[in-house]
Amino acid sequence: MRIGLRIVSGIALLCAGSVQAQSDGLTPDEMASVVVLDSVSIPTPGEFFAALNKVERPNWIQLRRDGAAPATTNRAQTALAVGTRVADGFIAVEAQDGQQVRNIGKDIIELSKKLGVSQSILARGNSISDFAENNDWSALREELDATENEVKLQMIEQKDTDLITLVTIGAWLRGLQVASEVVSENYKEESAALLRQPAIAEFLLTRVDTLPDRLKNDELVGKIREGLVTIRGLVKPDYPPIQDTAATLHTKTTELLEAIGQSPAAPAAP
Amino acid sequence: MKSPLVLLLALTLPLLPARSQGEAPASEASSAEADARNSVLELAGAFSNDGYKIRDGFWFSELEPGASSVVQVNLFAGNEYWFCAAANPPASKISVTVYDESGAVIDQQEYRDGPRAAAGVVAGRSGPFFVKVTLVEGEKAPFCLLYCYK
Repeated sequence: MRIGLRIVSGIALLCAGSVQAQSDGLTPDEMASVVVLDSVSIPTPGEFFAALNKVERPNWIQLRRDGAAPATTNRAQTALAVGTRVADGFIAVEAQDGQQVRNIGKDIIELSKKLGVSQSILARGNSISDFAENNDWSALREELDATENEVKLQMIEQKDTDLITLVTIGAWLRGLQVASEVVSENYKEESAALLRQPAIAEFLLTRVDTLPDRLKNDELVGKIREGLVTIRGLVKPDYPPIQDTAATLHTKTTELLEAIGQSPAAPAAP
Repeated sequence: MKSPLVLLLALTLPLLPARSQGEAPASEASSAEADARNSVLELAGAFSNDGYKIRDGFWFSELEPGASSVVQVNLFAGNEYWFCAAANPPASKISVTVYDESGAVIDQQEYRDGPRAAAGVVAGRSGPFFVKVTLVEGEKAPFCLLYCYK
């Protein structure tokens, strides 16, 4: 009887709720109080790629990139590299390349070890491997998202919150690089419109500007900041970016990703 | 995004167990967070059955009478989204509404079930949007918001 009543109640709610919202717009006070959060306001590369797949079917196998994570002890660079590898994971999922996904999972764990946050994500690494083994691409998308968040949560726990921004930047740049490559090589207004992400660029730049001096003075972080300023100008138009803009975006993001992936030169032999 | 999904939600969610039990919380705050998160995950789970992927990140905050809580999200044109929120007692009714970057309300589907609510949109363009959670009935209470997409 109680269940029946609840179903009736549900149907009544449906009648009242499945229509277009009738409320007014946001008030100036509400606009001024908007919260921007890394965990909710910044989309995953998976969301970006889902939208791209609706416009065209990129050749994701060609868009994968091989190569190991950078051999560096620089924590800022390592955090940026974690982000890029997470995005690489999403690309490997789109390419349905299980082996690549497993390799990337291992890279993420190795990089996380360098940041001292590996313990809790070891289980995530195993899950990634299991899902890849079973070609469970849908679960892998959620697992990669969860892995990135797990790393960030560990950073919060060990009071390394400044590095969170760098993980986010790494993932966003790699997603943007791939999308701008697709757009610039086979230009369509619909896919170019996906590059319009002004609020993300603005948010990340603001976060970089609030990093402590020890990080802001890092050569790579300085280069990233400079690059974000350029990128902010490229992703903000109200109209879809033209092909040249997409190509410039691809060049800029590639330059930054190469810097993130670069291992320090080995000392010269005596 | 079809209304049958909202119908399915309306029919099945009231039949789900109240909320899953997590491990013993370390503090009252973490207990409230776990409760709200479990409740919103239950709601989002229904969308997951329709092919939506649930974002791992969430927003945990407090609702107050007469005040709204607004978060910025960045959406991609063509993607379908559901923004789900759940509040703990003493909140008894909440709503979720999505706005474009100018602050104007956009076409959306609404789902409301007491302290749980959701809004579904198809992004018409890429860029920033805003999601507002409002306490419709009840008193100051913690809530959790997350979203899913496909």
